[in-house]
Amino acid sequence: MSVHELGDVSAQNEERTNSNENTKEDVNTSMKTGDQGPDVAEDLVPDVILPSNFSKCSRGDLVILISRMLSFLIQINDSAIKSEHNELTRFHSRVPPQISVYDYLMRLTRYSALEPAVLISSVYYIDLLSAIYPAFSLNSLTVHRFLLTATAVASKGLCDAFCTNTHYSKVGGVQCSELHVLENEFLKRVNYRILPRDDNILCCKMERQEGLFVTDTYPEGNVRGPNNGFNVLDTYYRKIIEIVGSYDSSPDKTKKAHYSMEPLLKKHEIEPSNKKRVLEDSEIKTNSNKKPA
Amino acid sequence: MAASSQFKQLEKLGNGTYATVYKGLNKTTGVYVALKEVKLDSEEGTPSTAVREISLMKELKHENIVRLYDVIHTENKLTLVFEFMDNDLKKYMDSRIVGNTPYGFEMSLVKYFEWQLLQGVAFCHENRILHRDLKPQNLLINNKGQLKLGDFGLARAFGIPVNTFSSEVVTLWYRAPDVLMGSRTYSTSIDIWSCGCILAEMITGRPLFPGTNDEEQLKLIFETMGTPTERTWPGISNLPKYNPQLPQHLPKDLGALLQSQTREKMDLTLIDLLYGLLQSNPDRRLSAKQALNHPWFAEYYQ
Repeated sequence: MSVHELGDVSAQNEERTNSNENTKEDVNTSMKTGDQGPDVAEDLVPDVILPSNFSKCSRGDLVILISRMLSFLIQINDSAIKSEHNELTRFHSRVPPQISVYDYLMRLTRYSALEPAVLISSVYYIDLLSAIYPAFSLNSLTVHRFLLTATAVASKGLCDAFCTNTHYSKVGGVQCSELHVLENEFLKRVNYRILPRDDNILCCKMERQEGLFVTDTYPEGNVRGPNNGFNVLDTYYRKIIEIVGSYDSSPDKTKKAHYSMEPLLKKHEIEPSNKKRVLEDSEIKTNSNKKPA
Repeated sequence: MAASSQFKQLEKLGNGTYATVYKGLNKTTGVYVALKEVKLDSEEGTPSTAVREISLMKELKHENIVRLYDVIHTENKLTLVFEFMDNDLKKYMDSRIVGNTPYGFEMSLVKYFEWQLLQGVAFCHENRILHRDLKPQNLLINNKGQLKLGDFGLARAFGIPVNTFSSEVVTLWYRAPDVLMGSRTYSTSIDIWSCGCILAEMITGRPLFPGTNDEEQLKLIFETMGTPTERTWPGISNLPKYNPQLPQHLPKDLGALLQSQTREKMDLTLIDLLYGLLQSNPDRRLSAKQALNHPWFAEYYQ
């Protein structure tokens, strides 16, 4: 991968979308605050309160949080990489690309106008892919190709405004034909279960076991409850803030800030079943098997 | 996953929005299927329509939704293997045109089709999926009289908050007035309007609002249903393409209008259901579940 060689990106004009002007602004402002990191007094780490609704979160802050999350995972997985699990995947680069995770993700977000839901989905996709495809782990060799693929797939699958693979690959610094292959690989591995639903991993595993493209049985008695699995991205957003909200929690030091989420308003306004949430929390922990115990 | 050699490709069934559809025979099981071939584009990769159709239809197992059995990858194309259906509602309606006069269906068939349509739509909505392109061409029927929703290329999940909702959805004749006026916050009600248009079309054999462009489409709707005002539809004036100079029309008698185009007897509960589905204000439109519980369907749920 030669991201660092890719200079000026004129590709942004190719964006099909025209509804992102306001959001683009918040990326830029956050970039500025990110850049002023070293000027701030050493010991002062400001607190930043984030909205409880992730789609209202500034994409600049979201990119910082996600970069912290990824760097945190990469640190763990890079140290585990020397073990026998050294199988190469399509997502591997020969050497770690020069561009930092934060710079790369910010670049994708800015020039491909990624929405908050897409950014959080790509974190969810790490758990999904590594659970179904054990050879894959997020590390300094796989993170760039993974992010490019995950954000492109999520944009195409979840949003009404998205770009061509030609555009995504230009921004991401890979050949377009390679992005086609990566996209195809990702979709096949996760069996096209790209909607963030909490039974995806189970369904994929059953499909693999049964040799079927679509499993006939849904887990939990074949029934999907009315709220089952529709708040996966909210859960991920909340967990990301919990895990890497604190400035000290991650190797990524792009922005000096402690993030926390605004308190949820009233009890009855919180998502209906608290029980469900607990379940999902534990699921996230088990799925991200590359995290420390 | 299946290999392409498992299927024998038979005659061409038609060109979909982004693909060519063939009839196919599963050589192992002897079962007919529909093979939807999607070309992989050198710019786009896997087209987003295919990504959506596959990822959404995987979640939808219902007797009134066409089943997706499999996806076959070959070098430059993707083949979606669907349940085979004999016909679609559009062709079936066309086959009943005598000379130049369209004929609607017998009322019992109208009711059975609409019931199945709403069952399929209710299931999509329960699973937080909007179809966004309901029209007779996309409703497939078989020789057993079953009706199933097909073509999910424009569909999307709606539980996931994204900023961009396109208003370029649904074929013009079946597009709701709020969407025509540029609303991007629509939800399940977008599909319900289409269900109302399709119901009327099955009764008379003619499309209810056959506009040729956005403006004419709104004009046709309001001429029959009445021009909405801020009083009947609070918030209407905030819609991006709201035109305050709209000519004011009083609602016409929809029942009488449709009755004049069919020999079948339309009862009052049917007319009440039509009004429930064809409310211009999306907040006042029935949900699919409510529509299924409407007295007109009493014989099915009793």
